[in-house]
Amino acid sequence: MIHWLTEPFTLQFMQRALAASLIVGVVCSVLGCFVVLRAMAFLGDALAHAVLPGVAIAYLLGANILAGALVAALVVAAGIGLFSRRGAVKEDTAIGILFAAALALGVVLISTVRSYATDLTHILFGNVLGVSPGDLWLTGALAVGVLATILLLYKELLLASFDPVLAHTLGRRPELLRFVMLVLLALTVVVSLQTVGVGLVAAMLVTPAATAYLLTRRLSSMMALAAVIGAASSVTGLYVSYYLNVASGAAVVLTATAAFLVAFVAAPGRGVLARRAAMRRAA
Amino acid sequence: MSTDDCLSLENVTVAYRGRTALDAVTMAVPHGGQVAIVGPNGAGKSTLFKALVGLLPLRAGRIELRDRAPGTQAQPIAYVPQREEVDWTFPVTVSDVVMMGRYGRLGWLRRPRAADRELVADCLDELGMADFAGRPVGDLSGGQQQRVFLARALAQEPHVLLLDEPFSGVDVGAKEALLDILERLRRRGITVLVSTHDLQTASQRFELVALLNGRLIAYGPPPEVFTAEHIGTAFGGHALFLEGMMVIDECGTGEVAGGQHRRDHERDVGDA
Amino acid sequence: MTAPPARRRVTAPLLPMILALVAAAVLLAAAGCGAGSDSGDRGRLDVVAAESFLADIAQNVAGDRFTVRTLIPPGADPHAFEPAPKDLGEVAAADLVIVNGGGLEGPLLDTLTNVGGSATIVDASAGLKTRTPQPGEPPLGAGQIDPHFWLDPVAVQTYVANIRDAFVKADPSGAAAYAVNAAAYSAKLKQLDAWIKAQVAQIPAQDRTLVMNHASHGYFADRYGFQIVGTVLPGVGTADTPTARQLGDLTQAIRRSGAKAIFVEIDENPQLAEQIAAETGVRVVTDLLDHSLTAAGGVAPTYIAMMKYDTQRIVEAFR
Repeated sequence: MIHWLTEPFTLQFMQRALAASLIVGVVCSVLGCFVVLRAMAFLGDALAHAVLPGVAIAYLLGANILAGALVAALVVAAGIGLFSRRGAVKEDTAIGILFAAALALGVVLISTVRSYATDLTHILFGNVLGVSPGDLWLTGALAVGVLATILLLYKELLLASFDPVLAHTLGRRPELLRFVMLVLLALTVVVSLQTVGVGLVAAMLVTPAATAYLLTRRLSSMMALAAVIGAASSVTGLYVSYYLNVASGAAVVLTATAAFLVAFVAAPGRGVLARRAAMRRAA
Repeated sequence: MSTDDCLSLENVTVAYRGRTALDAVTMAVPHGGQVAIVGPNGAGKSTLFKALVGLLPLRAGRIELRDRAPGTQAQPIAYVPQREEVDWTFPVTVSDVVMMGRYGRLGWLRRPRAADRELVADCLDELGMADFAGRPVGDLSGGQQQRVFLARALAQEPHVLLLDEPFSGVDVGAKEALLDILERLRRRGITVLVSTHDLQTASQRFELVALLNGRLIAYGPPPEVFTAEHIGTAFGGHALFLEGMMVIDECGTGEVAGGQHRRDHERDVGDA
Repeated sequence: MTAPPARRRVTAPLLPMILALVAAAVLLAAAGCGAGSDSGDRGRLDVVAAESFLADIAQNVAGDRFTVRTLIPPGADPHAFEPAPKDLGEVAAADLVIVNGGGLEGPLLDTLTNVGGSATIVDASAGLKTRTPQPGEPPLGAGQIDPHFWLDPVAVQTYVANIRDAFVKADPSGAAAYAVNAAAYSAKLKQLDAWIKAQVAQIPAQDRTLVMNHASHGYFADRYGFQIVGTVLPGVGTADTPTARQLGDLTQAIRRSGAKAIFVEIDENPQLAEQIAAETGVRVVTDLLDHSLTAAGGVAPTYIAMMKYDTQRIVEAFR
């Protein structure tokens, strides 16, 4: 039995894969609580794809690729804020436009560097099985930074998300806090992309937090629960991918989704079964 | 402005969406005063409150706030909008919401302390919501939610309290309870401004009334404000004078336009 | 309420204008398709080869009768190349388009076939016998074959014959010249084969194990007595990603066989290979050249130079 649990992790690259997906899973799930509550899921996915032109430009200039990706993410995030200001265009629309434009710009730029096209996209959309020790340190440092920021600014972020009007009157600058959140999101997306790839990042930003939302009524416990669910999905997903011989990142995503489905149906008070029972009692 | 004045407005002009919503409003409110702000829809009542609390910039004029003990207050004005533009599905409990009122005093990196938690409990108690402390705020009825947000305003320990149409859609019992609370606040020296469409309550239960319609038409004790001339100026064709009776029509297209105006207000300024 | 009628009057002429623009665009496109580039200074035939090594081989057959152009630039991955419109214009204008075949070009082959114009597609590897994967090598997909024939110089002699025949058919006046050039080049290929055999002989037979990034060296291994122990990417193409189990199996295979190095081509992403190498303590050689030549001044400007360079890198890794 023990052998069955330990066998996959006798390999060093699997150990690093586990550490990386645990770290990414926890950070994305905690930040994901704000993503879910502030309806930023599409934004998270868009940022993940929008870094492509930044990577291409950084590569052409010989600059640091991660820095280029981060700049691109922030530019796109700022652009979305600009387009949707004052309700000129819905935020959803603004995201759709900029996402596609950034992606296309990236493709065009990369096609000018014909020789190394595939190399650039590999740099960007990593594979959790190929995490180096250096990558792991970077991801860990990022995670500590993001989680510390969320902890320190917890009540301000809560206030700005729940009631921006009061935040404004108390001098808590909801615009600034939204920008902080965008920066955190961009950072998390960029570093996690390299480690685990775009499909996994987008999912871990949304699914564990959405599951936690169904199971608790307070933000603090929602974050803690999301972190646990994110971590557990990562570990379980890796085991499943090893023993069923399937892609690791996708296995983690499907595990997190399965957890969500269970909560959706069976959550006390808010699951489908509970609601049906309540309706029957009321009738 | 006498030293007894808590709040003074001098020539305050506020623009909203390209037009002048308030023009040269000048008035002074004494400490502990209770003022009813009345006027037809679109008169600028909400605009006035938003300007007072800093949500809208002044195009001209000056607002001065003076507390009895100068320099003790970071955010001396608390504002309770008529309908909170908040996300009701957000996972917060009633006491979480009231605690938010304390954030202004807590500063950016500090956590709430025992004294803050006690104050929150007291505010809930005062509003009769102590039993609901642990409940998610989205589970409450409209009237209960209103009381929670009032408790939050009190938790700010304000010197001035602005209530935007707190009597709308509220039954007699709740209205009386609210007026009770206002009386208690007055005794504690808290200055209160209440905007309302309920002219009856305004004239009977408030010591000062401000009649607005884009500008300040009249300000003072109710008998001085509620004259046929002032009402006619403020309400225009919506007011009908019969033998010994005055009828004012708030319904119809004016109401619709006013409601939309209010909703636009909340959405615009509440954007973050 | 005069606005609506005014608006209607403004939009009416707009519609025909849009239709005219669309029609003009269609006409331009059709005209563009028909226009050929001038082949006056290119000699007797206008020939484009898909890969750079093919271009070099074909050039040796063409001699100085004309210049063969290349579609896929040096360093780009032929398994995943996407042509720009200008490239396709050149292809459409050509007389012959030489491809490796065997599925190497992937969907690019369909694009080249559909580009129109008068080009004939020449399948350089036509008639060659394909191989089946040995145990330890990744299996082929349904209907897939291993297209990496050109890493076996003996197989390239068939390429030379196919190309020569295509040239003769298209330009019968040059038949004699093409035959002479082809024979001379085949002789060089035989010398290359002997040279490689001599180099490989420096490695003891039992040590001749290869671990590649993708399954590229099957025919090379067969010809020169190597055994492919496994590959990082589980297929003959570069698009597949391995599962955790596959990488675990590869790690075990490397340990069991005593392989010395993992070989990655210069434009491939070595990330996964590096992790496996760290796990097993073997080297990673990251500068093989086998899907394309370098530029004129580089280490591998011709096919023969490329094969020599590749062989040297492999042999060095075993010292």
